[in-house]
Amino acid sequence: MILLAAALLCLSACDRAQPTTYKIPKEVRAATLPMPDTVAPTTTAPSNMEVLPGMQEAANEAGEIGYTKPAGWQEVAASGIRKANFKVGDESGSAEITVLTFPGDVGGRLANINRWRGQIGLADAALDDLPAYTVGIDIANHRALYVRLEGKTQSILGALLPFHGNTWFFKMLGDTNTVLANETAMQDFLNSIVLEDHAH
Amino acid sequence: MMKTLIHFFSSLRLTVVLLGLSMMLIFFGTLAQVETGIWETQKIYFESFIAVWAYPKTWIAYDQLFWFRLPMPGGYLLGGMLLINLLAAHITRFKFTIKKSGLFLIHVGLILLLVSELMTDILSEESQMPVDEGSRSNFSQEYRNNELVLIDRSHADLDTVHSIPVSLLKAGKEVNVPDSPLSIRTVNYYPNAQIGRATDGKPVKSPATKGAAVKMGIVVTPAAVTYAENEINTATAYIEVLSPQGSLGTWLVSNVIDDRFPPQLVELGEKSWEIALRLKRHYYPFEIELVDFSHEKYPGTEIPFNFSSEIMVHHENSSKNQKALIYMNHPLRYEGLTFYQASFANDDRTSIFQVVRNPGWALPYISVLLMGAGMLIQFGMHFFKFLNKRTGV
Repeated sequence: MILLAAALLCLSACDRAQPTTYKIPKEVRAATLPMPDTVAPTTTAPSNMEVLPGMQEAANEAGEIGYTKPAGWQEVAASGIRKANFKVGDESGSAEITVLTFPGDVGGRLANINRWRGQIGLADAALDDLPAYTVGIDIANHRALYVRLEGKTQSILGALLPFHGNTWFFKMLGDTNTVLANETAMQDFLNSIVLEDHAH
Repeated sequence: MMKTLIHFFSSLRLTVVLLGLSMMLIFFGTLAQVETGIWETQKIYFESFIAVWAYPKTWIAYDQLFWFRLPMPGGYLLGGMLLINLLAAHITRFKFTIKKSGLFLIHVGLILLLVSELMTDILSEESQMPVDEGSRSNFSQEYRNNELVLIDRSHADLDTVHSIPVSLLKAGKEVNVPDSPLSIRTVNYYPNAQIGRATDGKPVKSPATKGAAVKMGIVVTPAAVTYAENEINTATAYIEVLSPQGSLGTWLVSNVIDDRFPPQLVELGEKSWEIALRLKRHYYPFEIELVDFSHEKYPGTEIPFNFSSEIMVHHENSSKNQKALIYMNHPLRYEGLTFYQASFANDDRTSIFQVVRNPGWALPYISVLLMGAGMLIQFGMHFFKFLNKRTGV
């Protein structure tokens, strides 16, 4: 009886929330990305909330994609979490084009661009350098970021598209000469993208 | 009168009725889980005194039976009554003898289990800590709870955080910001909302006069609270900040206006504070560094088979530094906290730990040990009695 009374007392006491003040070691603000001025904040899960075991489902739910395949690109069956997949080759080498989508912002733009830089052997870039190789474009009537990363042997042309709580990744990765020779084709491809859009 | 009461509370009949009602509660709680999800069900059915079951929308003949409600005693009421029942029975009927020591231990174990369950409900805190490979974190966040913070970053080595729980954000209510000259008045608080420049929906008229809402023309459309497991409520509020000299303006704060945005500043003379509504944070006197995260999949599939995080704990007091490997069913217990491997993200470069503070975590183990020992004694005695009888024949 006493135990129960004590528990009840604690129950009512513990619920009384109070304002508090505490000190913490100086915080370095997470690298903030300048939002393009046309993009208003949308309600999405914070970047670290992706629960990976459900990613396949998320990719399945993300809606379908429509596009026009540029001449010379060879379509490969999309598998797993890839929504579309192409190969292109010429005398100087080959490149692969992949389209993926993930929930949330997947760590933000800088993190993703640096991940791409890592894939072609470039060092991480700082936030201030971003404008040097990114430019805002429209994909499927939404603001996206076009990314151009030129490496010594390998290069990446890509785009990051935040789209109703998901982020779409369009990427061409391959031998530098092939990738650069296909830049117009990549831009035509991005221009042709149509995404299933239930939000409007 | 007293006698009837004691008789009632110590009766075995009450035990049977309570156990029957518990089964009913579990049954209907399980049904409700389909609609409201595990988190909400736990609150409504098990962490309550009375629960009311409603006829599910998805069942046949809902149109005729939509009014059907079934009230039943909740988990706290049943658990509390069982505890009283057990204690009362012990006090009035039980005489401690060596012969009955096994039974006694079983009952003590059971009482401890009931108490520990209540303690866990009341005292335990759960939050999540995402850490990127190669970087460190000294705080975790509660995904179901928010706080309004005003942060003074003027000191060279320290930041001062003034935190106000969202339960105090009630429209029209004023709250003093502790250890500061400021106070806040909540203009409105929305537990969940859509925010953006959306022209669809019915946004509320913005009372904001300062900050991101004004600069970016952000509006708020209140939304229903979600209880889904992988969704976060976009807690949002319009907050007026008051100084001794009067109002400093009204800001829109929301847990989606986070570090990705430039900080919203409240300025008073020389001083300034960052104002934000964010997922409730818990800071620790140590940092968790994620040294390496590894992730194995079943061959040919994307289904995770095992994932593990190699971490290094850097404590302010370096003698408490320690290395650890956290993986499924193998958490790290450190400074009264338990770190479980919960999830991962970001192309396998971010590991997410579930951080649990449960001061009563050892009690269920002790109670199970007590009950085990009790059973061993109880049945052992019977067994040896039986053996003796046989050899006696």
